[in-house]
Amino acid sequence: MQKILEIKDLRASVSGKEILRGVNLNVNAGEIHAIMGPNGAGKSTLSNVLTGHPAYTVLGGEVTFRGKDLLTMNAEERAREGMFMSFQYPVEIPGVSMVNFMRTAVNEVRRHRGEPALSAGAFLKLLKQKRELVEMRSEFTNRSVNEGFSGGEKKRNEIFQMAMLEPVLSILDETDSGLDIDALRIVADGVNKLRTADNACIVITHYQRLLDYIVPDFVHVLYEGRIVMSGDKSLALELEQRGYDWIKDSIDR
Amino acid sequence: MERITDNNLIVNIAHGENRDLLLLQDAGSRISPDVVLTIHQAGGSHLRLYVLTMPGCDVNNNIRIEQQGDGCHSELYILGIGTGSQHFGNTTHIEHQGIGGTSREVAKYVLSDSSHGTFYGMLKVLAGAQKTEACQTNRNVLLTTDAAVNTKPELEIYADDVKCSHGATTGQLDEAALFYMRQRGIDTQTARRMLLDAFMADIIDKIPDTSLTEKIREQIAETL
Ligand SMILES: Nc1ncnc2c1ncn2[C@@H]1O[C@H](COP(=O)(O)OP(=O)(O)OP(=O)(O)O)[C@@H](O)[C@H]1O
Ligand SMILES: [Mg+2]
Repeated sequence: MQKILEIKDLRASVSGKEILRGVNLNVNAGEIHAIMGPNGAGKSTLSNVLTGHPAYTVLGGEVTFRGKDLLTMNAEERAREGMFMSFQYPVEIPGVSMVNFMRTAVNEVRRHRGEPALSAGAFLKLLKQKRELVEMRSEFTNRSVNEGFSGGEKKRNEIFQMAMLEPVLSILDETDSGLDIDALRIVADGVNKLRTADNACIVITHYQRLLDYIVPDFVHVLYEGRIVMSGDKSLALELEQRGYDWIKDSIDR
Repeated sequence: MERITDNNLIVNIAHGENRDLLLLQDAGSRISPDVVLTIHQAGGSHLRLYVLTMPGCDVNNNIRIEQQGDGCHSELYILGIGTGSQHFGNTTHIEHQGIGGTSREVAKYVLSDSSHGTFYGMLKVLAGAQKTEACQTNRNVLLTTDAAVNTKPELEIYADDVKCSHGATTGQLDEAALFYMRQRGIDTQTARRMLLDAFMADIIDKIPDTSLTEKIREQIAETL
């Protein structure tokens, strides 16, 4: 099986505080991994460290992405290599239009892959096609990036961008929060349609409900900066019923 | 649109007249370090004034706009780009003397290296200038820790039935936005340029001469 991501004993801090305290995780092509865990466990920190957020400091460990040392790449290189994060809190960028933003991003990624820039016509066609995948109205691509979007619209926009960039590894950080029931189904359908045998997905969520739509091969529990339990999709059901106390108890003891 | 080339000028705008004026200070234009520009507006006249200070220009602009009649409208757009050890400043005075006037002043500075900018903006509404609606904003982006700005927006209002606002903000480029763009594969340089373009757009896009705005954009992109 083709390896996409290998994380070995990853430790990282932010603002001088150690948050990740030895994370191990392997993701192969075609797999979906769910990461669950209580608030403050370090799930978003893991996403930020993997995508190269400059505020986070790696203290130790190794990460290999598609056979390359991930930790020596800057954020934009990681993205061009096929790493994508759907942000827990997407950022509003007033004055930068969605179209201009996406055209720049898509062409940077294409250039990295040795492909020519898309013509204006081809780009707009792609835009329309991907918009339809997440049932996003055209007015949204005419606006500034995320500006004035509702919480749910921002999440849908993240998946739209994922569709545009066709990443190898997508990290979806609580993409389900803020989505209404119909939007959740549409967004999950979009993610499923983007699945291939060559890409993979890490889905961070608090709710089993999302995992009914995006069915994971593995479920991991992150607690106090470590993955303390892994299982199949039935683990998510068990967590939904029992909460985290039983896991915390077994660790703290 | 008329180019202002004098460094000491009084412009009288007649009743109901509509004027677009541009003061462009760049390396190619004959720059005098001190500009004094006074504009008198008669009733019902419209003024749009653009003041653009490009990289490398050490200038002090003194701009006074008096709405002498009723129902005047004034827009003042100021953009200053500072590089190197450049010093520049704008002192503006907008005075509402007539009834029902409106004015809008937007001043934006982008300062890099050890450049320095000052903005003193006075918005004055005389007694009797009722129903005035006026706003003044000053926003500054500092690209380096050595760049600095002094800003002093002031309101003086002697009429009671008016709507006026003013405000000034100074900050850096939005780090969260930069990371968001980089996460999509856009390099830091391009991301910064896009954010600066966005910051300046609401002034540059107002300039009716598009071949000029293209030139201005290029000039700014080259130097920053
Ligand atoms: N920039 C920061 N400065 C200081 N502390 C931070 C910063 N970012 C994260 N932390 C802290 O790191 C810890 C882990 O945060 P993180 O956002 O990774 O949690 P999470 O598992 O994603 O939680 P949630 O489920 O609430 O999203 C928290 O205690 C948080 O307060
Ligand atoms: Mg989180």
